[in-house]
Amino acid sequence: MADLRPILLVEDNPRDLELTLAALAKCQLANDIVVARDGAEALDYLYGRNDYADRQPGDPAVVLLDLKLPKVDGLEVLERVKSDPNQRQIPVVMLTSSREERDLLRSYELGVNAFVVKPVDFNAFFEAIQDLGMFWAILNEPPPRSRVDA
Amino acid sequence: MNDIGHDTSLDLDACAAEPIRIPGGIQPHGALLVVAPDTLEVLQASANLAAMTGLTVKAGDPLETAAPMLAGEIRRWANTDGYSLLRTLPVGERTFQVTGHRTSQGLIVEFEPPPPAGSESLDALYPRLGQFLDAVAGAKDVAGIAEIAVREVRELSGFNRVLLYSFDAKGDGTVLAESSDGVLPSYLHLRFPAADIPAQARELYKLSRTRLIPTADYEPELIEPPLSPVDGRPLDLSLAALRSVSPVHLQYMRNMGTGSSMSVSILVEGELWGLVSGHSREPRHVTAQIRTACDILGQILSLQIEAREQARRTADRLALKQVETELVGRLSAAASYQVGLASHAGLWKRIAGGAGAAVVSDQSVIAVGSTPSDDDIRWLAARLQEAALSEIALDSMAEVWPEAERFAAQASGLLAVSVSQLHSNYVMWFRPEVIRTVEWAGEPQKPQERGDRLHPRRSFQLWKQQVRLRATPWTSVEFESARSFRTSIQDFVLRRAEERAELTNRLVEINKELESFSYSISHDLRAPFRHVVGYAELLADRSADKLDETARHYLNSITEAALSAGRLVDDLLNFSQLGRAGLNAGRVDVEKLVAEVRRTMAPDLIGRRIDWRIGPLPAAWADGAMLRQVMQNLLHNAVKYTAPRDTAVIEISGEDRPDATAYTIRDNGVGFDPTYAHKLFGVFQRLHRSEEFEGTGIGLALVRRVVDRHGGTVTANGVPNEGATFTFTLPKRPPRPDTETQELG
Repeated sequence: MADLRPILLVEDNPRDLELTLAALAKCQLANDIVVARDGAEALDYLYGRNDYADRQPGDPAVVLLDLKLPKVDGLEVLERVKSDPNQRQIPVVMLTSSREERDLLRSYELGVNAFVVKPVDFNAFFEAIQDLGMFWAILNEPPPRSRVDA
Repeated sequence: MNDIGHDTSLDLDACAAEPIRIPGGIQPHGALLVVAPDTLEVLQASANLAAMTGLTVKAGDPLETAAPMLAGEIRRWANTDGYSLLRTLPVGERTFQVTGHRTSQGLIVEFEPPPPAGSESLDALYPRLGQFLDAVAGAKDVAGIAEIAVREVRELSGFNRVLLYSFDAKGDGTVLAESSDGVLPSYLHLRFPAADIPAQARELYKLSRTRLIPTADYEPELIEPPLSPVDGRPLDLSLAALRSVSPVHLQYMRNMGTGSSMSVSILVEGELWGLVSGHSREPRHVTAQIRTACDILGQILSLQIEAREQARRTADRLALKQVETELVGRLSAAASYQVGLASHAGLWKRIAGGAGAAVVSDQSVIAVGSTPSDDDIRWLAARLQEAALSEIALDSMAEVWPEAERFAAQASGLLAVSVSQLHSNYVMWFRPEVIRTVEWAGEPQKPQERGDRLHPRRSFQLWKQQVRLRATPWTSVEFESARSFRTSIQDFVLRRAEERAELTNRLVEINKELESFSYSISHDLRAPFRHVVGYAELLADRSADKLDETARHYLNSITEAALSAGRLVDDLLNFSQLGRAGLNAGRVDVEKLVAEVRRTMAPDLIGRRIDWRIGPLPAAWADGAMLRQVMQNLLHNAVKYTAPRDTAVIEISGEDRPDATAYTIRDNGVGFDPTYAHKLFGVFQRLHRSEEFEGTGIGLALVRRVVDRHGGTVTANGVPNEGATFTFTLPKRPPRPDTETQELG
C-alpha cells in the first residue's frame, strides 16, 4: 500500500539535489518531494514553523538527510528528531559522501534508520535511491500515531 | 716488579704511636720554663734551666722573686694579645733569646743562647726578605720559585744542603730543588716515601712551621715535674721550638749522615704542600731570628705557590670550560648525546684530557681513541655500578681491580662519571699506562725492625723503581671538568625529554589536522566525481538516440574517467584510515578468510580459467578486517596479472614458523622486473602501463602498511613473463595468558 505523505529531502549542494531528484523521478513515486536546503529549514518543516507554519499537518514518509549542511548540520537534525518523542518515529535516512566510520557510528548512535554512502557510480546511486524510496515511501507502514494525525 | 706499594702499616703505625707532642723533654741547646699566666708562678721547668740560665727556681716559686726583670717582660707580653714572644733579654748574668707561647698548661718560655756577635738581627733581615719576595714574584713557575727558595735558605741558615720537596696525593715527597755546597750527597729529583714522615709528624708540621735539630746526637733534658700541675698530663710541646724529637727520627738523621737539620713547612690551602729542609753533616745551630726569617720566607713561598697553582688551575679550568662549551654546543644538534660525543671525539677526549673515551648506556658502548674493549668497558661499568660509585678518578685501575691489568696498555687510568641515577650510564675517559722510572732515596718498601725497637731505614742509596700499570694522574681540574660535563649531559637528556614530549604533542596536533583534512576530502573530493558521472549518465539517458557513436564514446570516457578518479579517492581514504585505525587483533582463520575473499571476487572471475592451488593455511594473529584487505589486494593482483594466460595458476600456501606465520601467493602471470621490486610497495607506484592493467597503484602500499602495522614483513619476487610471488609474515601473538582468545575472520 502506497504511503502518499511527502518525502523530505534535505540537501544543500545543488548538483546533488538535482541528481537525487532525477533519481527519485526515475523511481516514479507518487509522493511529493519537499526540499530543504539546510538543517534549520528541515527543522522548520518538521515542526511546522516559520516558512512552513501553514503547511499541511503530518510527518513526512521519510527524511533523506545529507550529513554536511549549513547552519544546523545533518547529525544535529538527526539528534533533534530522534530525541523528540513526537518526532522519533519519522524514518531518517542519512545520505552522505563520507566514508568516515565515525560519521556512521555517530548516526547509528543517534538512531538513524539507514545510512547510505552516495556511490560515485550514478547507476549505483540510482539503485540505492530507488530501493530507499520503495522501502520507506511505499512499503513502510507508518506507525499508527502519524496515521491518526493525518 | 711491583707497582709502588704504600704498605706503610709497619713504620707508620709504629711512629704514630710515638708520643711526639709530649716527649717529656727538650733538646739540650736551650732551657724551658712553664709559668702560670696570671701569677707567673713556676709550674714546670727543664732539668738544665739552672745550669744554663742561673735561674734556680722550682715548681711553686713565684718568678717575680727569682727574676724580676724577666717576670716583668713576661707579664707585659701576657697582658697583650700577642700570641708569642721573641726577645733578646738578660737573664741572670747572660743574655738569651727568649721566646714564649701560650698553652692551656701555662705560658711556655724558652731560652736559647744569643746569636753570636755580628750576626744579622731580625731587622737587618727584612730587606733580604723584600728582595726574596721580588725574586719569587718574578719566577717563571713553581720550580723557579723553589730554586730561589733553597738558595736563600741556605744562605740564611748556612746548612750544607737545602732541599725543597713537595708531596703528591699519596704523601710521597719529590725533591724539586736543591742548594748544596757538596758536603752531603745530592738528593735532587729523588723521591722520599710517605712513610718517612708519619701522619702525626705531618700534622705537627702544619701546626708548627719551623723545626730545628742543631744536633742529632743529644740526650734530652727532662721536664720537671713530668706532669703539668694544671691538668695532670705531660706537657704538650707541639709548639715549643726546643721540643725533643723522636729517637726514631734522630736515628733516621744519623742513617742519612746528617748531624743537624731544620725544616720549614710550606702550607697551601691549609694542607702540607711541601717542606724546605736544611741539613749539615756537623751539628749546626740556627738562631731564632734566622728561623723566624725562614718561617716568613716559608709563608711567602706558601702564598706564591698557592697563587701560582690557583692561576694555573684557573687557566686550565677556563680552557676546559671552553672545550665543554664548544662540545655541548655541538651536541645540541645531535640526535642523542651518545651519537654527538662519538662524532666529536676530539673535543670529548679533551674534556678530561683522556687518550680515549667511552660512553656506556645500559649495555651499549660507544668508544673512541685508546680504550679497553667494549666488553671490558661494560665490565668496568658493572664494577662502578656494583660499588655504587657516581664518579671515580684512578691512575691505576689495576691497583683496585687486578683484572684491569689485561688492558693496562690501552687504559691504566680511569676517570668516570655516572650520568644517570637510574641506569648504568657512564661517561669515561682513559689514559694509557706510562712506564716511568722513579728514583727513590733508598728502597722505600723495607722499613726495618731490629729487636723490639722501631728502626728507620738506613740506606738512602739511589734505588730505581720501574712504575708500571699506572697512568699520568688526573688533575683536580680535569676531575671538575668531567663533573661539570656530567651536569651538561644531564641537562641535555632532560631537554631532549622535554623536546620529545613537545614533539609528541605537536604530532598529535598534526595528526588531528590530517584527520580533519582527509575527512573533508572524503566529502568534498568525491562529490564532483559523482556529479560528473551523474550528469553524464543523465545526458546519455536523455539523448542516447541523438548521439552518434563518437559522441557516445566521449560520454563513456567521461564516465569512466570520473569513476576511476572516484575509486582512487576511495582507495586513498582507505589507506589513510588504515594508518589511524587501532589494531583490533585476534585469531584469524586464514583458510576461511581466503575462501570469503574468493567469493567476493566471483564477478571478476567470469570467463576466466583459474587453477587455484590452496595449501593448508595456519591461523594468524591479526586484525581480521585489515588482513582481509591484504588478501583481497594480493589475490586481486594475482587474478589481474594472470589475465593474459589461458589457464592462470594461483597458489596460496602457508607456513608456521617459530615466531611468525607466513603466507605466500604465487601466480604464473606477467610478473615484473625484480630490479624494481623495492618500488612495488610505494603509493602510486605502478610497474605496468595503466592501459595494460587498470589500478590505482595503492593496493600494495596498503598491503605493506597493514603488514607493517602488525610488525610483519612483506617481500616480492618476480620474473618478467613468468609470474610473481608475494610473501608476508605476521608475528605470532605475544604470550599474554590473561587475554582470552578471540575468534575473528
